[in-house]
Amino acid sequence: MSFFGKLKGSSSAAPTTTVVPPKKDPNAPVPTPLEKHLVDATGPVRPDGSDKFFGFENYGSTCYCNSIMQCLYYSAPFREHVLNFPSKPLLDQLAEEQQSEANGTPVANGAPLSPRNTSSTPYPNMSSPARKLMQPQSPGQNQLKQEENKDSPEHRKKLALAAGPVLDMTGDNSTKYSMDESLFTSLKDIFEAIIGNQSRIGVVSPHKFLEILRRENEMFRSAMHQDAHEFLNLLLNQVVDNVELFAKQHPQLQQQPQANGGPREELQEKGLAMAMSSAVAASSQVANGGMDTHWVHDLFEGLLTSETRCLTCENTSQRDEAFLDLSVDLAAHTSVTSCLRKFSEEEMLCERNKFHCDNCGGLQEAEKRMKIKRLPRILALHLKRFKYTEDLQRLQKLFHKVVYPFHLRLFNTTEDAEDPDRLYELYAVVVHIGGGPYHGHYVSIIKTQDRGWLLFDDELVEPVTKDYVLNFFGGEPVPGVQDAKQLACAYVLFYQETTLEAVLKEQEAEGVQQAATRVSEADIARDPTSPTTRAANLEHSQTVTTPPAEYMAPMDPLAHAQTAPSEMSPHRPAPFENGLTTTAAPVSPVMPLKTKKELKAEEKERKAAAKAQQKLDEQKRKEESQKRVERWKKQDEEYKHVLEMSKQSANDEAKRRGEDAPSSSDKPSTAGASGGSGGGLSRFARHGSMSLRSSKPKLFGGSGSSSSKDKTTAQQTTAQQTVLVESAGAAPGGSSPLPSVPQGQAAAHTGGGGHAPVSTDFAAARTGDATAAPASGRRESMAGAGAGGAAEEQKRLRHRFSLGRKRSTML
Amino acid sequence: MNFALTFALPPRYPNGNLYTGVSGGGGLLETNNILEHPTGPEYQLVVGEGTYLLRDDLHLATPPPHPSDAPQPNNNPLATTIGPPTAGTKLSIAVIAPRKPPAQSLFRTQTVQSTRSGMPPSIQEETQSSGKSDGGSIANGFIAGSYYSGQVPAFGDGNPALQPAPVKGKKGEQRAKPKNNIIKSNSSFVSRVIPHESLQKRLQERSPEGLLAFANINRALIWLDLSSETAKTENMTKVLFTKAHAVCHDINEFTKAATHLDVILGFNSGDIIWYECISQKYARLNKNGIINAAPVSKILWMPNKENFFLAAHMDGSVVAYDKEKEDAEFVAEEGTENGHSNGAVKPATKFRVLKSIQSRNQKTNPVAFWKISNMKVNNMAFSPDGQLLAIVCDDGTLTIMDYIRERVLDVFRSYYGAIICVTWSPDGRYVLTGGQDDLVSIWSIVDSALVARCVGHESWITDVKFDPWRCDERNYRFGSVGEDCRLLLWDFSVGMLGRSKALSARNRGTSVSSSMPLDRKVSRASAAEVSRLRSNSSLTTQPDGISDGQTAPQEDGEGVLHSVEPRASTAVLPPVMSKQVDNHPLSWLGFEERCIITSCKDGHIREWDRPKEGADDGTQR
Repeated sequence: MSFFGKLKGSSSAAPTTTVVPPKKDPNAPVPTPLEKHLVDATGPVRPDGSDKFFGFENYGSTCYCNSIMQCLYYSAPFREHVLNFPSKPLLDQLAEEQQSEANGTPVANGAPLSPRNTSSTPYPNMSSPARKLMQPQSPGQNQLKQEENKDSPEHRKKLALAAGPVLDMTGDNSTKYSMDESLFTSLKDIFEAIIGNQSRIGVVSPHKFLEILRRENEMFRSAMHQDAHEFLNLLLNQVVDNVELFAKQHPQLQQQPQANGGPREELQEKGLAMAMSSAVAASSQVANGGMDTHWVHDLFEGLLTSETRCLTCENTSQRDEAFLDLSVDLAAHTSVTSCLRKFSEEEMLCERNKFHCDNCGGLQEAEKRMKIKRLPRILALHLKRFKYTEDLQRLQKLFHKVVYPFHLRLFNTTEDAEDPDRLYELYAVVVHIGGGPYHGHYVSIIKTQDRGWLLFDDELVEPVTKDYVLNFFGGEPVPGVQDAKQLACAYVLFYQETTLEAVLKEQEAEGVQQAATRVSEADIARDPTSPTTRAANLEHSQTVTTPPAEYMAPMDPLAHAQTAPSEMSPHRPAPFENGLTTTAAPVSPVMPLKTKKELKAEEKERKAAAKAQQKLDEQKRKEESQKRVERWKKQDEEYKHVLEMSKQSANDEAKRRGEDAPSSSDKPSTAGASGGSGGGLSRFARHGSMSLRSSKPKLFGGSGSSSSKDKTTAQQTTAQQTVLVESAGAAPGGSSPLPSVPQGQAAAHTGGGGHAPVSTDFAAARTGDATAAPASGRRESMAGAGAGGAAEEQKRLRHRFSLGRKRSTML
Repeated sequence: MNFALTFALPPRYPNGNLYTGVSGGGGLLETNNILEHPTGPEYQLVVGEGTYLLRDDLHLATPPPHPSDAPQPNNNPLATTIGPPTAGTKLSIAVIAPRKPPAQSLFRTQTVQSTRSGMPPSIQEETQSSGKSDGGSIANGFIAGSYYSGQVPAFGDGNPALQPAPVKGKKGEQRAKPKNNIIKSNSSFVSRVIPHESLQKRLQERSPEGLLAFANINRALIWLDLSSETAKTENMTKVLFTKAHAVCHDINEFTKAATHLDVILGFNSGDIIWYECISQKYARLNKNGIINAAPVSKILWMPNKENFFLAAHMDGSVVAYDKEKEDAEFVAEEGTENGHSNGAVKPATKFRVLKSIQSRNQKTNPVAFWKISNMKVNNMAFSPDGQLLAIVCDDGTLTIMDYIRERVLDVFRSYYGAIICVTWSPDGRYVLTGGQDDLVSIWSIVDSALVARCVGHESWITDVKFDPWRCDERNYRFGSVGEDCRLLLWDFSVGMLGRSKALSARNRGTSVSSSMPLDRKVSRASAAEVSRLRSNSSLTTQPDGISDGQTAPQEDGEGVLHSVEPRASTAVLPPVMSKQVDNHPLSWLGFEERCIITSCKDGHIREWDRPKEGADDGTQR
């Protein structure tokens, strides 16, 4: 069925293609778990977008982006701000002013790229990545595997993509917002498109967004595995920049409605006091109809106070530093609470990590501790699972078990912090799946407004139980236990502020829901044909339909650990797979064949689930399903038709692709292919150095808060991700500015990896050094270090990155 | 020791290839428990009174999966199936004839506090009962029934429908036994029973002062004689169940004798088994979850009751069963029999009586059915006098319940997150809870308020217990264990804490709390219960928003919801000892006369001998 992509490609003349869901298999009319979950969703779609459930298409290891975007989308205040900036009155005003000069019509989709799109952007034009990914490769093998794998995530992702509607975000509406094209505008485009679509479910194809991301940030340019947390940083900072740039470009808009608070320029200045006061001002301005450019800060920014006491002169110096998220070190068998406590524990600055005391002038031993002075409204907690190990000279994934509760308060606040007992609730978890930092997959599990918790795995959106959320504490993988769940650990936790009242209300609502589901469970429990008593539970229904088959599969964690279009998943052959299929095939275990029995059992379960569904809501359900069947039938016909047409063009394109491959070596994907098996896998290696930061806090507070922040160009911001003023020493070996360690790794995590993912990984790393490419730059600067040094370091870093990249492309 | 040499690896099944799908048809080899005696500074607990030494580390053998239930290899890291809940190894301990109850002085005293509380002396000095299993300590044993009979109400009093059922024989007479022989059972629920070949001999020869323990590991329930010198590793009996795991268990203190031990087991399938281990008979209740299908998270015999026990189910209900009654499909009788849940008063808590103990329909189980919360009930504990029940839930509440009258007295909230464990002080004045906020919280039942929060754990707290041998009328010792693999010991005294910061803050008015959004009163609590605990004196200690309601006490009140204390106004208690005592997250803690016992999720049972030169005036030996 991988020709859906083909279909999409051929029909891509229309900017937003609604692809017909073709269903050949007998299971076709069975609604997906998400559809079942939403079956009672009647009435109009809410205008705020809180009941839209769209997957994000994976463009080849872009799961880092998808998982973070979903987390941001389901933050109600963030979404609201994105949608409402620039606010309607402002735009009206602008429109009036610019009526003569600017035509406010949105640029049509597929418009030529802006001049900024230099040749260095490896991102191909719109027809390329997703479409090609969707194309069939050698048809025989492909089809065979599909039959085997109906319940694999890959297959279901494809179905989701096929079912659509697919929102092809190739256009750019930035002029509509009177803004320059930027990550923010493309993010806004995506949000608007999701909300604007009539369907509750579908798939977003974030083409333009990735294009801009890659154009402006070299780090993310390759199709390699990237760090989700790093991307979160970058995105938030760029949104800040873009929003503020807009304010700068339209100074006339800001002046008028401001009743209180200084001019917006304050925001561009450095200094915390300023940032704080403007934060206050900004929030008060919202009510006044003025322009609020500070909302990202209002949501994510908190303030850290670091107290450093020089042991020589006993002088205590205080520094406030803003943060948009907190990166905490991990220890085995701890809780998030404890990690945060540790974060604020006193530490000694000594030896190579001495403190530059202004009082006695010179490097001195000192005591330092960091506490939270102002609590953020959304606390993004980064669990530093990727740690640099000195002896291995590389990053390593920490599998430590770190438990996280659904609710949280912060212990590490200063005495004078406002509302130190603020209650947070967990609303999103970004999960990293994989044995090491250089490859793997990200998904997110997010609490929605009234649809419980959903799992967002690229294109796939599935309801999950609340208990499922606590499945990703981590824990050292047990040798011999073949459970791929061991590879999945929470990586970024999003806590949002809440109140006890809200929590109580929610608990009340949960009780009502439970009562409802229990009835249906009881029904099914007495049904001897039902394989499990859970089958009837609406919310849990997918637990029945999917996993039994997967249980039977031979161990092959990586097949799933990778993002969908990997060499393990033949359904979505990427261009580079041409080079890969031969090399990868021998090592990768063949996807499991399901026995007839299993298939039958599955079928049974499905039926049971459907049956229970009917009992629960018979009338509605019948109508719905009938409609659905009809629609599908129609679509099936249509599909067959289109299929015929697309077959032709598929052949054409396959030919063309074969010719193209050698020449297009600057494409990250093809770069891999030309390098043979090792090179092909090198897309899992990554340039990123962010996790190398042993800095405790991430201090890139954005405008005017962190002194290290020197944002003039977007490029610089990127580089800055790696260079942070910080207090080293939290992590062993992180106590001094280390020379960066070029780190090559082609983690060919193949074969029966499940047993000991880590060790496999190590082996892979060592052997992979030969094909090594990307540099894992590492840099720490001490708390007192001058900005000049940092800037220099940035340059070096960037240099290193590009070097690494070149090498990788050469391979 | 020899075992340790023979089996260098953990006592799992030697075949590392368990999950190949080839479910070995033949009889799987039974592995043995391993006894080790590691020494060194890392196996010592240094506290003020001396040094506790690790005497024994008994590693229970994890049984292989049942052939019909062999886990399949899972290659989907996101598989959404969640298996039934499992639990780490927990112990139920019984001493048939304890030498002496702990801390005698404690029960004798009539301190200022105890008179103020208006509570009867919680435990009489000459108590016969001891070694309450859950507490692992005599302190949680209950006063003998004779003491209160006629004076204090007991569960089920006043319901004629219950009259013929309970108490068929007096202590010493023949106890009722379950019907089915567990060894000869052909039930599909019980897989295999392996009694020790000389079980009767061992039973006869052992000292009645020794510790008998039941421990769960995976799908096995293991009966151990912890005081056996020679055969500690040899199970008295091992019961293997087919699929379900026994996740909680309790020994009936009231009926225990050298010839009779009533054990009740709660399973993650919702089933319950009443097991009399000496005659090897059993009966199964709540079969296939006919009464309540949710897994059982905690099961407790009712104090001084031969037949009744309570099971906490993970759907938020607590169900009272009679071990000898038949199951019947449960239909809620909400609000029919008594006025507790009449619609007149808007209830302040989620507590509902779905079937009252006073119901006329008592032919079948359940005897009573209470809905406590919408979320899991994680644990519960009876007060030492057997009158109150403390229940803790996943929604972060601690509910103090007068279970005899089926009324909720107080509902407290954790700082944040679920509460996982709960216990009572030996004198019944304090309740300890531990949970996902990494805190042990001390609650004063007398004052109905938070006393202090104990900071020191690095992860969630899984069990907390008082050490009755180190408690007196003013000083308390307790311990806690958690996911952080640590055992922490704590001391607090009435004088040290005095009136807690929280209480004094309240007396000053609401200035502190009014600025805190979280401190908004959760409930108006229009009909506040004035319990017998604070009938006259404790009004001042009530949170301000709630005290109004107390002027007009109503009998059918629904209890008081307490708000969360802000950190700034709460006393913080540091531990006196903190030590990693295992390599795996700990799941259970018990204090015995001679030792502290910990157990972990991997099946290690560790006994830490009390210091010999202890400040406890040499009563140890």
